[in-house]
Order: sequence, then structure tokens, then C-alpha cells
Amino acid sequence: MDKSEFDVVIIGGGHNALTCAAYLARANVDVCILEGRHEWGGALYTAENTAPGFCHNIHANFMEFLHFMPFYADFDLPGLGARTIYPEAQAGIAFSDGRPPVIIYREDMIERTCQNFAVYSERDAETWRALKTKANEFAPMMFGNLYTPPAKFDLQKDGLPTVNNAPMTFKFFGLDEEMAYKSIRDCVDELFETDEIRALFYRVAVEFCGPPIEWPGTGGTFLFACLWMPGCWRMMVGGTHRLNGAMVTACLKEGVTMRESSRVERVILEAGRAVGVETVDGRRYTARQAVVSGIGLKDTFQDLVGEERLSDYYRRRVAHFKDGPDQVLGSVAMALREAPDYKSAARDPDINKAWYQVVGYDSAEEVLNYCRAGHIDRIPELPGAGVWVNSIWDPSQAPAGQHNLTGWYFFPRASCLSEAEWEEVKRSYNGRFLALYEKFAPNMTPSNVIADYLHTPLDQERGMRMREGDFGHGAMSPDQTGLMRPFAGASRYATEIEGLYLCGSCTFPGGGVTAAPGYNCFKILCEDFGYPEVWRSESRSY
Amino acid sequence: MGMFDEEFDAIVIGAGHNGMALAGYLARSGWSVAVLERRTEEGGGLCTEELTEPNFLHNLHSNYHSLVGLSPVYDDLELEANGVDYAHPDVQMGSIFSDGTAITVHRDMEKTHRSFARFSQKDADTWLRLWEEVGGYMDLLVRTLMYAPPIALNDLTRALASWGVEEKSEFLSARLRSMSVAEFLDKHFENDRIKAMLAFHAAVCAYQPHVKGLAVTLPVLLGKISNWQLCKGGSHRLAHTLMRVIVKHGGRVYPQVPVEEIVVEGGRAVGVRVPDGFVRAKKLVASSIDVNQTFETLLQPKHVPAKTLEGVAGVEYQDATLFNVHAALNGLPRYKAAEFDPDIDRAWILNVGFESLEDFRQEFDCVRSGRLPEVPRLNVAVNSLYDPTDAPAGKATGLIRVFAPHALVDGGAEAWDERGREYGERCVERWASVCANWDDDALMRRFAVETPFDISRKMINYRFGDWMVGRIHPSNLLEHRPTEELAQYRTPVEGLYLCGASQHPHGYITFAPGYNCLGVIAEDHGLDKWWEEI
Repeated sequence: MDKSEFDVVIIGGGHNALTCAAYLARANVDVCILEGRHEWGGALYTAENTAPGFCHNIHANFMEFLHFMPFYADFDLPGLGARTIYPEAQAGIAFSDGRPPVIIYREDMIERTCQNFAVYSERDAETWRALKTKANEFAPMMFGNLYTPPAKFDLQKDGLPTVNNAPMTFKFFGLDEEMAYKSIRDCVDELFETDEIRALFYRVAVEFCGPPIEWPGTGGTFLFACLWMPGCWRMMVGGTHRLNGAMVTACLKEGVTMRESSRVERVILEAGRAVGVETVDGRRYTARQAVVSGIGLKDTFQDLVGEERLSDYYRRRVAHFKDGPDQVLGSVAMALREAPDYKSAARDPDINKAWYQVVGYDSAEEVLNYCRAGHIDRIPELPGAGVWVNSIWDPSQAPAGQHNLTGWYFFPRASCLSEAEWEEVKRSYNGRFLALYEKFAPNMTPSNVIADYLHTPLDQERGMRMREGDFGHGAMSPDQTGLMRPFAGASRYATEIEGLYLCGSCTFPGGGVTAAPGYNCFKILCEDFGYPEVWRSESRSY
Repeated sequence: MGMFDEEFDAIVIGAGHNGMALAGYLARSGWSVAVLERRTEEGGGLCTEELTEPNFLHNLHSNYHSLVGLSPVYDDLELEANGVDYAHPDVQMGSIFSDGTAITVHRDMEKTHRSFARFSQKDADTWLRLWEEVGGYMDLLVRTLMYAPPIALNDLTRALASWGVEEKSEFLSARLRSMSVAEFLDKHFENDRIKAMLAFHAAVCAYQPHVKGLAVTLPVLLGKISNWQLCKGGSHRLAHTLMRVIVKHGGRVYPQVPVEEIVVEGGRAVGVRVPDGFVRAKKLVASSIDVNQTFETLLQPKHVPAKTLEGVAGVEYQDATLFNVHAALNGLPRYKAAEFDPDIDRAWILNVGFESLEDFRQEFDCVRSGRLPEVPRLNVAVNSLYDPTDAPAGKATGLIRVFAPHALVDGGAEAWDERGREYGERCVERWASVCANWDDDALMRRFAVETPFDISRKMINYRFGDWMVGRIHPSNLLEHRPTEELAQYRTPVEGLYLCGASQHPHGYITFAPGYNCLGVIAEDHGLDKWWEEI
């Protein structure tokens, strides 16, 4: 008979839950992790859903945090199969009239980006040189912050602390502190004069899935999403799911008990304390010390605990936690005979080898209108996308000589359309995108596409339990980030229910493959249960 | 910090169930082991994907596991304690006939007897006698025929003769070696439909009813007719479980690491070349993939004797593969034939269309000629009947399989890309025609087709879509599988072993090729056998 009693039981097998599990096991905690799906890794998800041999990263694709991620180094994930490629041309935008493309190169290739920007504007190139240099200096400080739980505070006694480091950070970059209170778009427009360059930044900024780019008070996100992030993107050899494979192996090596196809139906409370869970097939798993939830906030408290077990405060804050509209995505996947060959490649062939390719927009205005649509619950009229063709860099992701294109559309929340309407989007939108694509890359004709697939926000919600199709398990707007994630009274991973902890993307610092929520939650568990602090490392401060 | 800084005692090529089982045993024996897999997922045929919609789990290949409890691997590797979970359907299979009648095969043979008796009392009684007789020697047959290196057919026949088979057994005989499944059934049974039900069971196991000589192992097949089990949460869960066993004992599984060459030094396999470089195998390399890739692609010709290459070039593959339709359903189907036999609604595996042995002859003749039948004859399985977690609440996942040619007579294998969808629709129509609630409940949400060409592209060792990795034919079984020279799991290249479905007994979730290869390795390397020896 299967063992059923553990020190800690973790709900959900996404990358944060795996992180927390691996560290717990290394600290000699007897830990069991239960995944509802048949596959591990949550959004570290790679599927052959167009044609045999074509791998598509339907969810996570960008691996910008790996080289700072403690889990990656502490458990030798590369040695367990998580190998990366670091493309030189990181992000680029092409144009339908063959204008020169705008391309951002790796963080260690500032001059190449400057050369590219200088085709349009010497001033913009100069700005990039100054700011990107600063961004590289700033990165280590930022990571210390991400991989440390938010500071302790007493909400009852002291009220909500006001913490806004953004003005200071702008100062560090040599920019006016006032810019911290601007929107991302304001910052882009103030610093860069070229419309084509602005268009790329707008799209890159929404790719990070932060707040709407015209939302004031979010200037800090500009520094992160536009200046730091493009330049650090790694891709996983074999597809994002390989990172999961390495994480699972790490967990198994440490002795974690892992059970897939084991969807948790409720958290068992005794005298107000979380003491275990029950799965849909009626099995009970006892937790001697803690139940840790790596799934969504509402899933945890409304579905598994039950609102009747919550305080009024928790009930309100959970109910009003927002999913979307900021990071709701549809994923397009296409099996291609040839990689896209852009008109703009005549001016600079690197655009054909840019890892992340922005397609469908000829002006910054068009990107803005596109992003606005999702926020007013509409499907964008102009079917543009950000795509990546991983097989250009990693031929193992497609049959010999052929290519796997995957990309993101910004869509409205799952509940904005009926199931029938989403079906219609599934049927027609890729076709519209392709018709537009051909104007930018003439070889992107229907005959170049072997098969295609569109994963809608509704699919996202159903498959990954990401409500509304929100990739980050909760909007990343200022009201739901930092100490406010998921809300002040749950910002340090412990909850009002004794023995129940959160370690998923609904906690600080949020969505994305950072593994920080899982790591930080482990630190808190060490504090609360006196587990050995095996996260400490001489090679880093966090 | 590279992936392959270390060297391994053993390298297994291919993370199918046989390769992973072998790796599990070796790892538990204290060896360092790495399993290298070309695809993005481990498991080979243990492949479960959400092919239609999120939360609908479709088993692309392996769906029926009929050796749970019989294969020693489940206990030896403690698969249950490591998380695999099976459902054992009480109504195992059934047939729906055009006149609205139906047969059901149950775990409870009394019930099966009652179902058969509605068609022929005599056959029902014969069936019970057969069942009881096979039960008497099932264990022995499984051990000697499956979980041991292949015995020459002549030796088998001699053993049967010296045992006095003709006097002691009603159903075994030395003559089985020259009989087809159909001839065996004709000899013992009178009713066409009962014969069709039993032949269907054999055909689903890739034993074509009219191939001479296949009756020889029919008793083993029939003895498993009540042991068809369903891996809950999708067949891929068995792959996860095997991986857990391997890693727990210190081994590693590396998907997306295609082996490009088996490196030979001084006539001995010393490792493999992968895109990252060379990985050394201190003791051995075991290949679980097909022999064509192993000898023709992965080994340099200078390391393979001409005779071996000649044998490998002559290995034959199944002339009938499968065409699959994976369906996302709005609920469980109910059948018109339930008026005749209500249990048909709960039959896990359904025959829709084979009503006599002649139907099988026509079907396989048609398939062998590269054509598609006008009206498809189906093998249907709705796993959600016994594992509701494989679909969203209230919904169901369905699978239709039909025998099909890999290459179509007009257009070859490539023509499937054009014709697959339309043929899928015809299969769905056929299924709908026997359902009672198809339209009322708008059962079909969406379906995806998987053609023989798709199969051969996705699983490249299923050459020509052959999921048994080698023809099921007397010329390619036992001591002939895959060739006489390679049948005993060793190869002419020292240190290179074969442990996949190309070997005796054949494909399917038996684990027997891996287990038998383990026995040979244990002998060659003096391994201490901690496992239950059978």
C-alpha cells in the first residue's frame, strides 16, 4: 500500500512547488507532492500539438532567471538535463515594407544593439548604451530582492507599509525619480524617439506580462521589462519541459514522494489547523507539519479550504483578487516547412535569427491598439503576435530541416467570450494571423504551414487551472505585487490557517519561471519549523 | 557543469518501457545507469497526450495492459508503491453485432459463460473448459514462453509430445504450430460470433487470425482475456513510475538526447555519441530501439558483420498497423445493443464490425492491399468508464482503432496526410451508428486522428507504424525474432545488448524483452540476482 503520512504535503506540481519540495527534502523533511494533471511542471509545458516531432512551448518559453535561480545551481539542473541556449539576437521587430528591423542583442552585446538602433537614431543608440550598462550593474541587486521573502510587518499594529524602491532605482539609472510614477509607455516615449524602436519596446513590455503599459505608477516595470529583460533570455534545449524533467529528477534524487494524476479535492482542517489533503479518488494524505499549496489563490481558499472556514478579511481579499486582464495569452503553434524569411532581412539578415520575433505591426500605435483591446475585453482586430522559432537554434525541436513556430497573442480574459466564440477564434484567428504574416515574410504562405494549433485562454484556464487564462496566476498590477501579493495578510507565504502555506505564482514575486515563490516559501518554512537552512550558499547573498 | 561529465556502467538507448525496466533493475543492482531518449518525453509507447482538448487524456499507443500481476517487473520494481495505479474493468470487452445482439466478456467467467450461452450453449461450455484448462498451465506457459529467452519451436513441440499432450489436454496439441487462430477456433467452436469475439481478442494483440502457426501461442492469449487493465491517469503514468524507480536507485533518464552513434573500440561497444559529445559506458550499451536503427544507423558498417546486416535488412514489419481516432466526448456512450445485453454499455473494449472469421480475412486482405474498407470495422475503448479522471467531470475520452495499411495503394504513406481526416469521420460515423445517445447528448465534442504515417514519424522505431516493432508471424517469433543471430539479446558487437520489442517475445507492455535481456546481462556480468527468478 502506498504511503500516506508525511511531514509536508504539497499541492500542485508546477515549478515553484517542485522547488519547495526539493529544498524540503534536502532539509530531511519527509515531503509528498501531488499533481492533478498527468504531467509535471505546470507551465513548463511542451507539447507536440501540431504535427509529430514538432515541439511547442505552449506556456513558458523565456528563461531569463535561470542563471540567478538558486534551484538551478544548488541541484545542478544542467547536469540533470536542463541545458540552455543563449541566442545572440534576442528580440526583433520586422516591418511589412521592408524597413530595417529593430533588434536587441544579448546583454553582453550592447554595441551590436547600439549599431542596430543607430540605423534609425544615434540618440536612441546612445540612450541604450547608457541604460543597458546600468541595467547589467543593477541585476544582482534585483535578484537579491526577488529571492528573499518580503519583510515582516504587523498589519494590525503598523498598517500597510509604503515601500516603493522605484524612484531610487531610477536615480541609480541616472534618470529622474519622477519617472517611477509614470507609465511604461511614458518612459519609453520620453527616452526613445524612434517609432520603430518604441514599437518593439511596447511589445516586449507586455511580453513580461506586467501591468497595462499605459497605467501610471508602474515606471519601475519599464526598467525591468524593457531595459533588463531583453538580453537575458535563454531557451531550453528540447523545450521548456526539459527544465521540468531536471527539476523532477532533482526532487526524486532528494527522496520526494511524487504522485501525478492526484488532484486534491480538499484541505483537511482539524481544530482550525491544516492537517492533510484528500484527492478526488478519495485518498487521504496526512501532513504532520504543513500543507503547502502551489496552485492558485482562489483554488486554494475557495475550492479546497472552503470560504466558510475563512475570516471575513480573507474571504474578501481572496474574492477580489484579480485574474487578468494583464497577462492573458493565446498561444499560436505552427509546424513549418521553412522558417519565416522577413522582407526586413534584406536590410539586416539577423532578424531571421532573432529568437523573439514581433510580427504584424508597422507602427508603435498599432502595438498600443493591440494591447488596449485585451483590456477592454476584445479580441485585437489586427492579429499580430510575438513568435519564436526555437528550431532555428535547437534543431531537435522539429523534424530535420523543418521548423516549430510558437507565439503569443494578447487576448481578453477567458470569461469575456463564450465557449462558442472561443471556438470560432480557434478556427479562424491563426488564418488571419498568417494572412498578415505573409505581408511581413512572403514565404509564410498557407503551403508553408504543415499544421497549426491555437491554445485559447479558455484552454489555459481548463488545462492549467490558470483562471481566466492568466499566465501569472493573478494580475501583476501594482495592487497585486510586492507586499500586496496576493494581499498584505498573506504576503509571507504563511496564511491565517495554521499549517497552510502558499508557494505558487499568486505569491511574491509572482508569475514567470523564477522559482522564487517556492524558494521563498521554503525559507519561511525553515523559520517556522526550524528546518536546516539548506538554501544558504557561500556563492550568493540570497 | 556539463550533463555528461560522469561515465556510466550502462547506457540504455531509448526510454520505452523495456529500456526503463532494464535500467531500473540495473540501477537497483548498484550500477550507474543512464537512459537516453530521442523524444521530448520518456515512455515510448506509454504516451499520453491531451490531443483534443485540455484534460482529455488520450493514450496514443499503449492502452491495454494485460500482464499486470503476471509480469514479474511489477513486483520486482515495486511499481505500485512508486505510484502506478490500475483499474481492472469488470466488463472487459464486448462485440456489437448488426442485428442488435451483443456478446460481453467479463472478469467473472460465469457471466462470460452466460453471455456466450445466448449464442451457443455448446460453445459456452467449451469456453469454460478451455478457460479452466489454460488456467492450469497459464503460469508455466507465461514463464517458459515469455519470461525466458526464446525456445526453439521444435524443442517446444518435442516437450509437448514427451509430456503426452494429446492425452492430457483437449486444447493443446503439437499441431498448433501449423494452425492459424481461425483454424483453432473453427475446430473447437461452432458459433460465428463467439469465434469473432475470440479472434478479435487475438487480433487486438496483433495476432492476425489467418496467419498459419500463430495458434501456437493462442492459449497464452486466451488465458489473459480477463486480465486487461487500465493505467489510471493515462498509460504515461507507468513511464513516470519507471522513471521514479530508476532515479530512486541512482539512475538517470535523459529525454531529448538522441544517440547518434554507438561507439565501438576494439570490437567492443564503449559508449555512445550524442549531440553534446561522447558518453562512456563502462560495462555495456543496451539498445531498446528497432534493429534497423541499431545496426544500420547507429553502428558504423565496419563494426557490423555482413551477415548480421543482411539479417537485419530482412527483418519484416507488420503489414497491418493502426489508424487511431481520439475523441473528446460530452458523456459516456450508450449502445442500442444494451437492450439485448445491458452490460455492453460498460464493456471497456468493443468490437464493432467483426461478426465472423471471414470478416477478419476480408479486413486483413483489404489492409494488405493498401486499401481502406468501405465501412470501417472498429475497436473502441472508452477509458473514462473505468477512470473518470481521464476527462473533465461528466465528460469522457474515447479511442477508436482500426487496422490500416501504412502505405495506401494510391499515394503511399504520405497520402494519409490528405485522407486521414475523412477516414476518421467514417470511423466516427460507424461508431455513432451503434450508439443510442449519439445525437441526443451531442456526444462528440472534437476528435483528432492519428494515422499510421503519423505513428511512424512520431515513434521512429515503430517502423511502418508497427507498434510491435517486428512482424507477428512464425518466421519472426521465438528463436527467429528478430533474426536467429540476434534472438538471444546478445549481438556480435561485444558489450552491446538488445532489450526492446524487436526481441522475443514482442511489443506490448509485457516488459519481457527487457527482463529477458536482464537475465542474459546478469549471466554475462555475474550480477547478484536480487529479483524474483521465474
